[in-house]
Amino acid sequence: MVLLRKWMARGLVALSVAGVAAGVSACGGSSGSSASSNHGQFIVADYGDANDSLEQYAIKTYNATPEGHKVKAVLEAWPGANYQLKLQTVMSTSKAPDVFYNWGSGSIEQFVEAGLVRPLNSSFSSNPALKSNFLSATMNAAKIGNSYYGIPMRGAQPVFLYYNKSLLAKYHMAPPATWQQLLSDVSTLKNAGLIPIALGGGDQWPSQMWLEYVYDRVAGPSLVSKALTGDTNVWSSAASKEALGDVKQLIQSGAFGNSYDSVKFTDSASTKLMVTGKAAFELMGSWEYSTVQGINPSFAKNDLGYVSFPSIPGGAGNSADLVGNAQNYYSVLKSTKYSQAITDFMKVMYSDGFQQQLLSKGWLPTTTNATQFFSKSPTPAYMSWQYGKVKAAPAFQESWDQAWPVTDYTPIHTAVGTFFDNTNEQQFISSMSQLSTK
Amino acid sequence: MAAITQAERGGSQQVSGRRRRRPHLRSHAQNIGHPGIIWALPATIYFAIFALLPLVVVVWLSFTEWGGIGSPHWVGGANWKALATDSIMRQSIWLMLLLTALSVVTQTLVALPLGVWAAGFQRNRAVLTALYFIPLLMSSAAIAIVWRALLDPNFGIPSQMHWLFGSGNLFGHAGDAIGVLTFVAMWQWTPLYTLIYQGGARAIPAQIYEAASIDGAGRVRQFFTITLPQLRNTIVTSLILMVIGGMTAFESILILTQGEPGYSTTTTAYYMYSKAFLRFQYGQGSVIAVVLVVVATAIGLLITKWTGYDKMASAQEGI
Repeated sequence: MVLLRKWMARGLVALSVAGVAAGVSACGGSSGSSASSNHGQFIVADYGDANDSLEQYAIKTYNATPEGHKVKAVLEAWPGANYQLKLQTVMSTSKAPDVFYNWGSGSIEQFVEAGLVRPLNSSFSSNPALKSNFLSATMNAAKIGNSYYGIPMRGAQPVFLYYNKSLLAKYHMAPPATWQQLLSDVSTLKNAGLIPIALGGGDQWPSQMWLEYVYDRVAGPSLVSKALTGDTNVWSSAASKEALGDVKQLIQSGAFGNSYDSVKFTDSASTKLMVTGKAAFELMGSWEYSTVQGINPSFAKNDLGYVSFPSIPGGAGNSADLVGNAQNYYSVLKSTKYSQAITDFMKVMYSDGFQQQLLSKGWLPTTTNATQFFSKSPTPAYMSWQYGKVKAAPAFQESWDQAWPVTDYTPIHTAVGTFFDNTNEQQFISSMSQLSTK
Repeated sequence: MAAITQAERGGSQQVSGRRRRRPHLRSHAQNIGHPGIIWALPATIYFAIFALLPLVVVVWLSFTEWGGIGSPHWVGGANWKALATDSIMRQSIWLMLLLTALSVVTQTLVALPLGVWAAGFQRNRAVLTALYFIPLLMSSAAIAIVWRALLDPNFGIPSQMHWLFGSGNLFGHAGDAIGVLTFVAMWQWTPLYTLIYQGGARAIPAQIYEAASIDGAGRVRQFFTITLPQLRNTIVTSLILMVIGGMTAFESILILTQGEPGYSTTTTAYYMYSKAFLRFQYGQGSVIAVVLVVVATAIGLLITKWTGYDKMASAQEGI
């Protein structure tokens, strides 16, 4: 009897604990759902890296506004290397972030197809400035069908050819304007015992940049867009083979030295080659400037040169075309309860303060009024040069590994890496033909 | 049996007035020989939640297609069929076996003599042995990152030793990359096995060596006819640890080679990761996981059977 009473008592305690817990969670739920009171908050998921102080700035700015006092924005920085993996895992769960960082197009396509992303067209009709303040090419890179899905944040990152000025001066060379000049520079530098072009082949995407540019110059931007929309035959076309032949010639001429497979950009080893004068060129995204600055600030100021990718005479592509990362975007979860607050948050992305933050980090804002802030950036010349290139570019090829769906990310890298290993065109063509199509 | 006799003896020493407690004591003593299932419960629950349950889910996932969004949908044996004709999968299994074999050979050849040497009680040996255990204190990830930097072709060791490394493109050739993985695994794991062999060698009774030297056996002879046979169980233990470690090796591949060049260092474990977490094909990744479980279990069972480890025979019978 005593025992029974003891058990009953324990049971009651357990029940009441559970009750309290349920009550607490119910309270949490109710405060969350009443957006009009001052306790609502939405989660902003970000790519956690050295640049996420930008996002912290955006969040702080928004939270200081009257709207931000009503519904607060909360930043969640996910470690960069696992960002896409984590996003993929939580997007269809109740833990999905209200706003999430992405690369536009291929990176959000499957979320859009699954009906998880909110089209922003209606937000644009009530807040036209949200669209009109950004360059239209940038907005289009996050457009799927007739709907816009992303607001640009961070900046455009076109790829350019960077070089060591004093090394080129030493060998009396001008930065190459044509492919032929590049080849002749390569042979001069190679004969001098240098690595002509630094390449972080261990990361593969730096090798991919060479293919992207040569494909654009030789075949024009339409080849890749055709491949993306389902015409996989373009990979075995004559133009494609010609582009591969050019890259093959460059590799076999010893342009990248003979150990590029073991060199990475991600640990700065490839850039160090250029900064220390062991190599003359590196093809890299616009973040190269800050990478060089991290290695040797005075080199960045005095010795770092930059030019557009050389033209390939006779090719179908325009020598003003760019490749690279068009932009990063914020997209909105369809099921969010705070779409109005999020629209207010998005307005920060074209504010003067945010653009100045971008420029201070060496990023190029893609807003229509960006030029007026260049004078305040630490590198005004570099910024206005880049902006001019982006504005004048007839085509901006999104990096292949981001234009295709995420499931093709590794296959593309493997195809590129293998081509730089064995220069086997047929193998590359067949690997690229097996990628997903839309 | 021994436990019971001891308890009986204890019981008989009791004062006669408390004799009636003997049956209770006896039943308690019987339990000592065979602990109740309750003792295994915590471990069993833990194992069920963190090993068996995921295993069941993985088997189910292997019959579905799932990219992490929405719910998995059933595709029957499609993933299995795709894997059967996947040449990378077949290659990855051979590679896993090759890397495991290379680790076992290199690590045993270094750790066994080192462990026997470290078993001596001289002070210089104790000091050197302590230094030698330092890699054991570092995480696999840290070790891989350090070696990746040390082996950089332009700024690392290879740039100073062209006579040995040539162009230094260690991560660009299949053979070299496998060599790097084997070497780093050896550097990392040898201390652990040295420790195990040191313990094993110290447990060998000194009398055997004394008797052997009276009979005129030299140091080499002693090593092969006394030390090695006496270390039989230690060798088997370390062999099993090495084989399992070799087959599940992952972090060092992830950091050092990412399965490259091409697929030449993509072992089964890395291929599984790449399918599931880089390409978001969880169904196909799960198939590889199931294959890995089956192959690793089979190899583990074969080793225990071949070596007679399951019989737990003493190496010192008759001594």
